[in-house]
Amino acid sequence: MFTELNSILNATPDSFTQGEFILVSDRQSDASFLIHHFLSFYLRARCKVCFLGLVQSFSHYSAISQRLGVSLTQAREKGQLIFLEGLKESLSILIPQETTTGSQAMDFLRDPTVGLQRLYEFVRSSVSSDGGGEEGVEEWGPPVLLVDDVSVLLSLGVSAGAVLDFSHYCRATVCSQLQGNIVMLVRCHGEEAEDDGSDEGSEWLLKGLTHQCSLTLHVQGLPTGYCRDIHGQVEVCWRRRRGDGQHTQKKLFQYKVHDKGASFFAPGTSSAVL
Amino acid sequence: MLSELLQGTDTGAVLIIQDSCSYSGQHLLKSFISAALNKEEAVHVLGFDVSEEELKDGLTASTQRLHFHSAYTDPLGWTNRTAFTVHQFCVEELTHLLKQTSHPKPVTLVIDSLSWILRHVSPPAVCKTLQQLKKGGAVRAVIGLLHADMHQRGTVGSVCHLATSVITVAPGTKGDEAVAKITKRSKSGKVMQDEEIFSIKGDFSVTVVSKTSHAGHRQTEPEEHQTDPTANLTFNIRLSDTEREAKEKLALPFVFSKEKKTALLQSGPGSGRILYEPDANDDYDQEDPDDDLDV
Amino acid sequence: MAAPVSSVGKPSAERPPFSSTSFQKKTRSKLISIPGTRPSVQNGQLLVSTGVTSLDYLLGGGLAVGTVLLIEEDRFDSYSRMILKYFLAEGVVCRHELFVASAQDNPDDILQELPAPILDDVAIHKPVEQPRLSCEPQDNLDAMKIAWRYQNLPKVQSALASSSRFGHYYDVSKTMEPEIRQAAKCHRFYLPEHPTQSSTTHSRMIESYSALLKSLQEVIHREGFDLSTPMSMSRNILRVGLHSLGSALWNDDLSCHDDPMHSHALTTFLYGLRALLRSSLSVAVVTVPSHLIQDQALMGNITRLCDNAIALESFKGSERETNPLYKDYHGLLHVRQVPHLNCLASQLPDHKDLAFKLKRKQFSIERLHLPPDLSETVSRVSRGELAGAAAVASACGSGTSGNKHLDF
Repeated sequence: MFTELNSILNATPDSFTQGEFILVSDRQSDASFLIHHFLSFYLRARCKVCFLGLVQSFSHYSAISQRLGVSLTQAREKGQLIFLEGLKESLSILIPQETTTGSQAMDFLRDPTVGLQRLYEFVRSSVSSDGGGEEGVEEWGPPVLLVDDVSVLLSLGVSAGAVLDFSHYCRATVCSQLQGNIVMLVRCHGEEAEDDGSDEGSEWLLKGLTHQCSLTLHVQGLPTGYCRDIHGQVEVCWRRRRGDGQHTQKKLFQYKVHDKGASFFAPGTSSAVL
Repeated sequence: MLSELLQGTDTGAVLIIQDSCSYSGQHLLKSFISAALNKEEAVHVLGFDVSEEELKDGLTASTQRLHFHSAYTDPLGWTNRTAFTVHQFCVEELTHLLKQTSHPKPVTLVIDSLSWILRHVSPPAVCKTLQQLKKGGAVRAVIGLLHADMHQRGTVGSVCHLATSVITVAPGTKGDEAVAKITKRSKSGKVMQDEEIFSIKGDFSVTVVSKTSHAGHRQTEPEEHQTDPTANLTFNIRLSDTEREAKEKLALPFVFSKEKKTALLQSGPGSGRILYEPDANDDYDQEDPDDDLDV
Repeated sequence: MAAPVSSVGKPSAERPPFSSTSFQKKTRSKLISIPGTRPSVQNGQLLVSTGVTSLDYLLGGGLAVGTVLLIEEDRFDSYSRMILKYFLAEGVVCRHELFVASAQDNPDDILQELPAPILDDVAIHKPVEQPRLSCEPQDNLDAMKIAWRYQNLPKVQSALASSSRFGHYYDVSKTMEPEIRQAAKCHRFYLPEHPTQSSTTHSRMIESYSALLKSLQEVIHREGFDLSTPMSMSRNILRVGLHSLGSALWNDDLSCHDDPMHSHALTTFLYGLRALLRSSLSVAVVTVPSHLIQDQALMGNITRLCDNAIALESFKGSERETNPLYKDYHGLLHVRQVPHLNCLASQLPDHKDLAFKLKRKQFSIERLHLPPDLSETVSRVSRGELAGAAAVASACGSGTSGNKHLDF
């Protein structure tokens, strides 16, 4: 959990906006450090977290969360964290075995045209509270869905429209029905394409998800070039605002990632420069 | 023109609000819903993009006449809790749906959003449905929200071609202002275009801040006033009035006064005269130096 | 995970057989060290050498076990192939096991071309520098009276017993001796030998990639590289070298068409490869002919599915070959991606303008800098010829040359 980011987003583990769909995106950069922030943030806030870790192993997230002060193994044992390890589950489908084990969540690998309905059903069963009957089950807060990352689904052959349907259903269930939050990471490459709509790639997916979300954090490299001390810039944009002020608000920060966190500062005020 | 559109729509009108990622047209759509409710019309909303609570949030007008058909919870039938699926978007199903709520007067149908439908239903089918709705019957007017950056230009163009009015919204220069480009086609075939800057207040009433009549003219209020280049210098390059007068009075060299000019132009007696009689040699044709052009 | 890790940080893909809390410290007595590996100083990852010491430095000390290194081939596949051979040769020298897959050349041919390791370079320098070395190091070490500072250095090895050093040097003008090569266990996958099965292909992978993935999984299970097998056996590292994936010989039309039919075959395979590597003690080097792939978005996806990625751009055949700026180098090297495994920050390279040069005994990667302008004519370098980065010394360099034309 990065304290400076908490103050930027006006959120603490004790009080944060519920029902938010946060979209983390990057362009020619790596925004996965923000996913680690949100993971440790929501675990600290005692929320029930469903994490779709599609690109890295569990021990990777566990090692980093440990540095941020949260233990993923403990959270998983207590039932607070439900972790889908995409890499592990996919092997049994990609290399056909005699006995098919594992959850049906990664079934889209078998036939990507089918869509992500099974993955949605996995999410739904994870976030909806298991009914009574178990003693000693702790009560957790609102459910949170974290996806790292959504663009790898495009690499595996799923169409961008199917991903948008999946995110819509997750939003309907997690945000609107259960008043929980969603954080999704989508990665783009290259410059923004002028010809929109024709190529159903990650740019189109980014636009579609932007329309659905309520808060975006867009990570990019510095426009002036490569710098070792400042790793890039983050543009925070609040989209849907209830109550007063219907306009969208944008803020720009520069950041640097350390071993145990990341620091955010106004452009030009990096400690390396001042 | 924005206020006119908000005030009333003729029968058989199709209004499309185009937005993009940088500015969401949701709030303007809610303004239209609020205006329609205030005019005591019956409004049916096909909600795909947002949930019922989010749509009704902030609408102060009485929501008795607002009927929400939720396609948000299960538009594709994945959870079997469907109220309305995307595949039900055709004229028969829609009229059936609208007739269920008994109303004497025709209904204003609001579609939020058309982009969702266009992702699953082919554009020709959507256009056909819109056209049939336009013809009349159960529906008096259709208002639809379209995310223009999610579709190909041809798709957006085809859908907007059917519309009687199109409003394209974009973020404005100041915080809560937005720019709306409006195109309206009246029944007589006349096309009016306008560009306005508006802002939406908390109760979803729209205030038009200013009008710009030319299509390409942008309201460029400079954010900061022009810096005066003659300020903050160690030397003085300004002129006082007396200094300016003196400057203008100064006679520059090689600038002849008017009298001298006229004297030079008129040749007086005794001065050399130039007599010119055109000669054959002077008749030099640039294009034909040998003078044997026989074209 | 078998690594002498002193800190609490977990190495990659660790799966403790006993249930432990995350704060249990690993003691040295329970671990077995694998020759040819060392822990990273940054985050305790287990690293292996790529065979090229300057590339190791660039990647943050070495290749982490469980990761993939993607090499975008140069136009004639000369230098990328060389790096692949260095990688495999390093595996032989460290007694790791090898898995070589190729669709173009027989893996046996590739193995026969491995460069010879330079083993006694330690001893070469010594007689020149220290002529006072009174006795052979093979005698008892206690007897060193004058050169007692050199007591603890490793002895000269003429035969390859087991090299515990990290990173070796190779002589590319000679090939590795067959005895050394055959000492290492090697698994092969040659695509023409695998008939195309008519079995149903799951997912978007094409048959050739499916067969490759299946074969690799079988080797990992059979030879005990899987992390889930009990720790009692002595562990070793499997080095996987995959040559020219994505080329037409793998039945993939990725490099042929602008709009390929199997656009997701290679990316799905890379996902499966990553899954296999993360759960085993292996490391992979994959070369891809990126100059044939037109779709930049696809190249971006491929790069992101690998952990490390570098691109080689050789000067041969391009107009840069005759450019005097580049006369010291054979090509440019671009670092496309560095991983951050088990830590937030990644080891970003200091400089982005790197050039490489293949010398007989070393493949060196250096920061590109312009050579001093010592020519007799005043050479004015146009902006377009520069590499785009280090536009340093043209101005000050020409000072030395202009003197000839000044007549005082």
